[in-house]
Amino acid sequence: MELVVRKNELLRELQLFQGIVERKNTIPILANVLIEAKGDEIRMLATDLEVALRSRCAATVAKSGSLTLPAKKLFEIVKALPETDVRIEEDKNGVKVAADRFDSRMQTLPREDFPTLPDATGKGRASLPRNALKEMVAKTQFAITGEDTRYFLNGAKFVLKPDSLTLVATDGHRLALVEVKHEVGITEERGVILPKKTLLELGKLLAEGEGDIMFEAGENHLFFEVGSRMLISRMIDGQFPAYERVIPKGNDKDIEFERERLTNAVKRVALLSNERSRAVKFEIEKGKVEVTSSSSEFGEAREQLPVDYAGTAMTISFNAQYVLDFLNVVETDIVSLSLKDEVSQAVMKPVGAQGYDYTYVIMPMRI
Amino acid sequence: MDAFYASVEQRDNPSLRGLPVAVGGDADKRGVVAAASYEARTFGVRSALSMAKAVRLCPSLVIVRPDFAKYKAVSQQVFELFRSVTPLVEPLSLDEAYLDVTENAWGERLGMTVARRLKDAIREATGLTASAGVAPNKFLAKIASGWQKPDGLTVIAPERMESFLQGLPVDALWGVGPVTARKLRARGIEKLVDVRTTDLDGLRETVGSLAAWLQQLANGIDDRPVVSEHEAKSSGSENTFARDLTDRDEIRREVEAMACDAAAWLVKRELYARTVTIKVRYHDFTTITRSHSEEPTREEDNIVRRAVMLLDKTEAGARAVRLLGVSVHNLCTELSPVEIDPQPTLPFEMSEGA
Repeated sequence: MELVVRKNELLRELQLFQGIVERKNTIPILANVLIEAKGDEIRMLATDLEVALRSRCAATVAKSGSLTLPAKKLFEIVKALPETDVRIEEDKNGVKVAADRFDSRMQTLPREDFPTLPDATGKGRASLPRNALKEMVAKTQFAITGEDTRYFLNGAKFVLKPDSLTLVATDGHRLALVEVKHEVGITEERGVILPKKTLLELGKLLAEGEGDIMFEAGENHLFFEVGSRMLISRMIDGQFPAYERVIPKGNDKDIEFERERLTNAVKRVALLSNERSRAVKFEIEKGKVEVTSSSSEFGEAREQLPVDYAGTAMTISFNAQYVLDFLNVVETDIVSLSLKDEVSQAVMKPVGAQGYDYTYVIMPMRI
Repeated sequence: MDAFYASVEQRDNPSLRGLPVAVGGDADKRGVVAAASYEARTFGVRSALSMAKAVRLCPSLVIVRPDFAKYKAVSQQVFELFRSVTPLVEPLSLDEAYLDVTENAWGERLGMTVARRLKDAIREATGLTASAGVAPNKFLAKIASGWQKPDGLTVIAPERMESFLQGLPVDALWGVGPVTARKLRARGIEKLVDVRTTDLDGLRETVGSLAAWLQQLANGIDDRPVVSEHEAKSSGSENTFARDLTDRDEIRREVEAMACDAAAWLVKRELYARTVTIKVRYHDFTTITRSHSEEPTREEDNIVRRAVMLLDKTEAGARAVRLLGVSVHNLCTELSPVEIDPQPTLPFEMSEGA
């Protein structure tokens, strides 16, 4: 194999592989990126067996072929090179990566060891609107748990209906749900659980570019085609909890806040909350809400927010982080909080959001 | 021992006598009740309740910080008495034990007499009361010991066993917590004796691999010996397969079955485990283990779920597997009084697939 590729183009792709490759190094080949040179492009593939990414980049191929190189080292080298052409060349002794007056020889691992990954079949494809999907990922991924033993919670539920798509994530304490109305081009409803890592990497792929995302759910794998890149993900096996049932319907106390004022108040007051519980209290009365906190170690804090509320007075406590996670991802000027009582699920929503419906359910704390 | 920690505190501090006392952490620091005096229990205060809730139930509650060194010393006194009567003493916790008094140092023929003399000796040595249950086996002895507290003595003679069993609710069975009890009731199994006539396969759907064991208990059969020391530090099983396994579902089923066995072992031994470990040996003999620790448990669902989660962290299936193992470690005899999490969970119905 012998080829020349523009540094910046190669770097852009290699950057995207950094999150994909296996970090723990249990299987050495999974730390490598597979590079295949053919025609006038190189195709690249990396995977940790949970998530895989395929991408390509234009190149001048003198001799086609394929080989594997350590994804991280290759990225570091290419990043350090000047803006010029990068030459990659395989000979009897290994793989040469060179540019300008720089020359290097890298260790490779047999191409045959690289796992084979399934291909999308093109059947049952759905077309997902890019911006809406970007919103959905950003507004739910923080609610996925990291290491929950209920492993189906280590992912987000993605539900596709002919006229809508929904993404739901929960860590058991709060739940984030985004629904977008859109004709996705399928006839049958389909629900799958996406691993956390898939969402994270999908979020990165959606950050730039335009055009709809093609989605396909195979038997065990999911495929997201984002421009010239394809993200392949294993599906999480398991039963996602019946999330519809924890979204309360009868919350009759509604309060609207200016998002920025509420965000600032919670941030400030939380500084003196109990360090472990991070609890802030919402003391709700006619015409005002006081956000308060107290820490046996550091003291206490409160901030008053004028609101339009005429219902009965009540006090409810939340983990400040859960409230801020929501406030940090919404853009509307106004957000609403609806409550039933001090122990039942509260619902937060952006008021006047365009193009999507966002529901955030928080379980209040017992304080 | 009756209301053990609380009784020790009341013994050592006369001003606490006759008052509702709870031993545990502060209400405003999310403490929980480790023990409640009988005065406090009349208000509904019981162990494992959050102290904040306890104070709401009983505003006059006197909260005493626990002094475990002291309780341990009293416990040693009591266990020395036990061991002076029989070497076959199986501790369940600081203040609870099984004694096999078939042969005893006093040469008493009746278990009841041994129990009465032991209760007297405990009162004399420590000033505290204890409750005893005398029965032909451990299962019944444990139930009997809780029958008339405090200062109780309940004897189930072999000929009275059947009428005693007839009166018990299904929750009396070991391994049957409130959740399983609810499931059993939903199947029409209200009383312990109903378990006898339940079809074993049907029972298995509700209680898993414990089914046969519970049916034995329901018949009053329990042949577990009194084991003087908890020798076991762990338990588990391993299986080397006649042919290497490559089918993930099959591998998963094997792991699930072994995890069920481990849970059943815990229930039988009345132990809880903090750590679940799986072992995978691939076809090329490379062997890995994966462990997960959390609060002590003996729940089958919990142990199976964690074993499968650990399996998902291996390459089993992608690489052929010649041996699988599941074991439980970090055993303890009681659930430590944990601080109650002030953050409740969303009310999911976690029964499916959980």
